[in-house]
Amino acid sequence: MPQNEYIEEHIKKYGRRLDYEERTRKREAREGHRIAKNAQKLTGFRAKMFAKKRYAEKAEMRKKIKQHEQSKVKGSGEPAPSSEALPAYLLDRQQPNSAKALSTSIKQKRLEKADKFSVPLPKVRGISEDEMFKALKSGKRENKSWKRMITKPTFVGEGFTRRPVKMERIIRPSALRQKKANVTHPELGVTVNLPILSVKKNPQSPMYTQLGVLTRGTIIEVNVSELGLVTAGGKVVWGKYAQITNEPDRDGTVNAVLLV
Amino acid sequence: MQLTWKDIPVVPNQTEFTDVILNRTQRKTPTVIRPGFKVQRIRQFYMRKVRFTGDGFVEKLQEIVDSFPRINDLHPFHRDLLDTLYEKNHYKISLASLSRAKTLIEGVSRDYVRLLKFGQSLFQCKQLKRAALGRMATIIKRLKDPLQYLEQVRQHLGRLPSIDPNTRTLLICGYPNVGKSSFLKSITKADVDVQPYAFTTKALYVGHFDYKYLRFQAIDTPGILDRPTEEMNNIEMQSIYAVAHLRSCVMYFMDLSEQCGFSIEDQVKLFHSIKPLFANKTVMVVINKVDLKRVSDLNPEQQDLLKTVSEQNNVEIHELSCATEENVMQIRNIACEKLLTARIEQKMKSTARVAKLMNRINVSRPKPRDDVVRAPYIIDDADKPFEGPLSKEIEAEQGGAGVYQPDYHEAYLLEDEEWKNDIVPELLNGKNVYDFIDPEIGAKLAALEAEEEALIEQGFYNSEEDEEMETSDVEDIRAKADWIRKRHKVMMSESRLKRTMARHAVMPRKHTRRTADKLEQHFDDIGLDAKQISARIQRAQSENKDRAGRGADAVLGAQGNQIIESGRIPSLDADLAEHLNLTKSGREKALRLKKIQQRQWTNDGRRNESDRRIESSKPKHLNTGKRGIGKADHR
Repeated sequence: MPQNEYIEEHIKKYGRRLDYEERTRKREAREGHRIAKNAQKLTGFRAKMFAKKRYAEKAEMRKKIKQHEQSKVKGSGEPAPSSEALPAYLLDRQQPNSAKALSTSIKQKRLEKADKFSVPLPKVRGISEDEMFKALKSGKRENKSWKRMITKPTFVGEGFTRRPVKMERIIRPSALRQKKANVTHPELGVTVNLPILSVKKNPQSPMYTQLGVLTRGTIIEVNVSELGLVTAGGKVVWGKYAQITNEPDRDGTVNAVLLV
Repeated sequence: MQLTWKDIPVVPNQTEFTDVILNRTQRKTPTVIRPGFKVQRIRQFYMRKVRFTGDGFVEKLQEIVDSFPRINDLHPFHRDLLDTLYEKNHYKISLASLSRAKTLIEGVSRDYVRLLKFGQSLFQCKQLKRAALGRMATIIKRLKDPLQYLEQVRQHLGRLPSIDPNTRTLLICGYPNVGKSSFLKSITKADVDVQPYAFTTKALYVGHFDYKYLRFQAIDTPGILDRPTEEMNNIEMQSIYAVAHLRSCVMYFMDLSEQCGFSIEDQVKLFHSIKPLFANKTVMVVINKVDLKRVSDLNPEQQDLLKTVSEQNNVEIHELSCATEENVMQIRNIACEKLLTARIEQKMKSTARVAKLMNRINVSRPKPRDDVVRAPYIIDDADKPFEGPLSKEIEAEQGGAGVYQPDYHEAYLLEDEEWKNDIVPELLNGKNVYDFIDPEIGAKLAALEAEEEALIEQGFYNSEEDEEMETSDVEDIRAKADWIRKRHKVMMSESRLKRTMARHAVMPRKHTRRTADKLEQHFDDIGLDAKQISARIQRAQSENKDRAGRGADAVLGAQGNQIIESGRIPSLDADLAEHLNLTKSGREKALRLKKIQQRQWTNDGRRNESDRRIESSKPKHLNTGKRGIGKADHR
């Protein structure tokens, strides 16, 4: 009974088949032809997948080639500081960089001031009531249709209880309720799944804000205590605003960007 | 218990995994959907896709998790072996991450099916499906490392030798390069690599051999160095675990020539340091390579050192040489013998086994009811063994099947044993069998029969007259009983018919054929006098005859009364022709004419009377419009 590394053992003892080298060489040689054939022959989704993979490979290859070329170029980067002392009139020449940095920082600050009221998604698509609500029939003979069901994901606060079913005009289905959002911190570049605290503003209409409808561009308040952010005063920040960046009704999740 | 794991299915890598499952979804679920369909149908279509994909992932993950051995349920030897080879924690975490992925995918599938239930449009449903499959694929993508690791484990696990920890085992251990593998090679057929350098053997190798018709396994272990177990590497640990866990005869190999690169002192030291593992095992020290150096060649100091080994509880020292094949088989046999005796001792010691059997056995000892001795009857020669050859043997001796003819006379039961083989003579006392045959037997029998017949004719056997009376009574009763039985049967079948007839159309009474004879018969049956009524019938018939004699009735009547009786309009066919008493030529003519007449109809494929048809299944004029008082039949 063969046991343990029996394949390697066998190769060590008896060697490979005589045409092994030739076969591997030929297989490698065929590889290019196979790719070329696929590139020409494939159609539809397969072609798409193939092209994507090929593109990634090529990009990788190009990057590698560039790296090699760069390593060959001599004397890139700053010239080594000379050991001789610089004359006084030349000392200033080194400074322009810092001056430029200063000016850019000032510009940045100004921009930030203007940005105080700007949000990542300034424009949103309008949503009609038809799309937002679905009329439900009610009454003994199903001939009344004053009930509405919201067809978008919503946020309902904790401890929410529905009104008596008979009176309830607007229904927020429990299957479409969302409690958490994937919030990205734009500066840190991290994404965390955080609990939603409330809906601050829905740009579509104040009524939707009140109902807690989550659509693209809605500002929500999220619980950031997990992130461990600290205010200038040294207190831990608890709630922070974030804007929804995706269409929750299409993705089944809520993605948002933290407003900092 | 499972000893090998050769049949674990291949663990795919993450891209293959997703490709397989998504491809399967594409192939096995419907693919055509249009925005014009009812939204219910669209939702159903996409929910099915999400569910199907989720199930596919879950099934496959479960299969992988189930196929790997559960490390805690294994024999301690295998458990420790797998631990050293694959790192138990890593193994467990990998499997756990797979099963966690399974629950996550189940959750995703559930959530998105719930969301799809509220899908409003084809586009939205499609996007939700896309998101669901994407999330499942992402979960699998994160399993890259566990899947890769498990695939490697699978490949290695399949190549492990099957070591049974409970069977008869010779375990060969010792320093590296002392000739352990060459010993295994010389006693079994195992194909082990033997090389003149240390650590040629890096894993456990198993070989099998037979001794005293019993199967033994010999296990070759990698060499051990004398150092604390914490510092030992994985290769050494395998041998340590084998020594520790397998019930075996441990053969500690030593090399006195020190060709292996380790001194005798070192080798003795190692023996003492791994001695604690030898508890409850038979141990023997084997000196290998005696063609180079024997024990007797050692100086006294070294011999003393060696004695410290043998002083321990009956550890024997044996010498052999694998190179010259000296003593190899003898020592193998000694080891096997030792192992067998040890195993038997152990078996005897374990009382649990006996107790297990004893509590299943019940010996009943009934009390004697009196003092009479009822000894068992035993035939005198019951205890004598069967002597002499079997008939099978005799057959073989005398030429085998087909040639040998057994002597059936042997089995004859006669008064005298000697008569058995006597031949029945053709003539006895001057007479043959033919002499006892009477040639006139036929004539005698004929005479006897004739006499018998004559007696019957004379009434010799007839009984007297009063008896005759009785017999006639009996006959009468019998006849009546027969009639009753017959009648009973008829009634039964009639009532049965009535039940079935309830489901069928009934032939009206006036169309059934009734005859005077039948009527009379019926009257007889129910016990009424039919004379009056039959007289009336006769009278009526005679009147009828007169009437039939007049005009056209006479012609028709002559043609066939049946038509009138049945009251049907005749259609021309073969049966009817027969009915009408047509001659053969007349019948042919009628058929020909019929064909000609119908030719046009059949050619046109027109509707004719033989077609079964329903004129109109839903006559509109009868089914439309308001009904004032709910009646539709007066339209």
